[in-house]
Amino acid sequence: MDGDRPIIRVKDLRKSFGSVEVLRGITIDVSPGSVLSIIGASGSGKSTFLRCLNYLERPTSGDIFVDGEAIGPSIAPNGQRKSGASPRDIARIRSKLGMVFQQFNLWPHMTVLGNVIEALIQVKHMRRREAVEIGQQFLAKVNLLNKKDEYPAKLSGGQQQRVAIARALAMQPKVMLFDEATSSLDPELTGEVLEVMRDLAREGMTMLVVTHEMGFARDASDRIIFLHDGKVEEDGTAAQVFSAPASERCQRFISSALS
Amino acid sequence: MFVALQNVFDPALFWEYRAVLLTGLLQNIIIFAESAVLAIFLAFIVGIASLSRHGPVRWTAVAYAEFFRNTPEYVLLVWVYFVLPLIIGTALGTKANLSPHVAAVIGLGVAYSGFLSETVRAGLRSVSYGQTESALSLGMSGFTALRRIVLPQAVRRMLPEAVNQLVSLFKSTTIVSLIAVQDIMYQVSMISVAEMRPVPLYTGAALLYCIVIIVATQLFQRLTERWRRRGWA
Repeated sequence: MDGDRPIIRVKDLRKSFGSVEVLRGITIDVSPGSVLSIIGASGSGKSTFLRCLNYLERPTSGDIFVDGEAIGPSIAPNGQRKSGASPRDIARIRSKLGMVFQQFNLWPHMTVLGNVIEALIQVKHMRRREAVEIGQQFLAKVNLLNKKDEYPAKLSGGQQQRVAIARALAMQPKVMLFDEATSSLDPELTGEVLEVMRDLAREGMTMLVVTHEMGFARDASDRIIFLHDGKVEEDGTAAQVFSAPASERCQRFISSALS
Repeated sequence: MFVALQNVFDPALFWEYRAVLLTGLLQNIIIFAESAVLAIFLAFIVGIASLSRHGPVRWTAVAYAEFFRNTPEYVLLVWVYFVLPLIIGTALGTKANLSPHVAAVIGLGVAYSGFLSETVRAGLRSVSYGQTESALSLGMSGFTALRRIVLPQAVRRMLPEAVNQLVSLFKSTTIVSLIAVQDIMYQVSMISVAEMRPVPLYTGAALLYCIVIIVATQLFQRLTERWRRRGWA
């Protein structure tokens, strides 16, 4: 029973920046262990959607449930708050969602290992020794244990992004969110990052992946949604979306992205 | 020639009064250190508050910084020494008094907290928001993200500018003689009255300040250089 409960449930999510409505009512359930790729043109709202899930963006209205728990105050369409969630609750739920950013956002004043263990110590209140053990384990997983004492500036972009993935994984999140994780990498460096992401997908990690990498979306995802103008325009398995999309716009997007 | 030079610069005269002059210098250093601690403490509070999400907090901080940045420190010093005790006295219904030393530390401390809060603010803003976002996304509180992620980076970037401000603060400690703190300038003016030779004494004082500041700045730069090498690969 419980295994079928969606790990993420989004109901009528809306987000406006000033008078511009970027998300115009998104409703979606994500089942545990699945890989969902989110594609669409720039400005379609895909990054905003991902950033609303862990409340880095505050939704204008709608509900988000992570592992059955509402993140943030649940807000009715008329703007009225239905219930409150404290900053502490938001932080606790955030720690269940690992996020990987386009710009890596490693902390330059800490070593690679320091980056990975910081949240274990500050958020999970682990002892340093225990945190180091877990940190090393996840650095080994992304094949960067030999760089643990370097500062991020000494690493290539691909290595930095793998450290960022290890940092998120070390918190043992239930879901990983990838926000254009390879978009700022040189083409020859995207492969090593995508490889780590494929490994994670094979291990059964639940992943939401905002991406321009159509190859990854096609081979690695269980489900793809195509966003257009803040709405889900196409939603299906990789095979459906790539070979027989219902929406003409999605068809055009994919053929131009693949060419 | 030699006599003419001696009229301007006379180490022997300085040496003769070394005990008094060193006591004076010590006063400058103590007042500098105390007002620097006060200024830095206030500057962090005001600098952080000036970037707050809450309007009233932000406005108060900005008003504070503008007021103290744009008021001459001499006026502040006199105000703290002569006016503040009257206000406190009226409020408490008794006679209040501030020692010249305490007034000097408060006056210089708040004056420089205005300048330094701008340095803190600029330092904090130079750290990209992505640094905070990655910390928040891992479940850190805003305060922890500030303390562990943003401030350590901001402080390192603030250092060169902060050192300039602190050099200015040290130079400003010379005005405390005007409210009768017995610093070098106070001692020099007393001695020059007794010796009737203001020129070599004031020239000597200028050189003494210059040497102390150069030595201190060099030491500090060496220290920050080492920090940078350790943290900033």
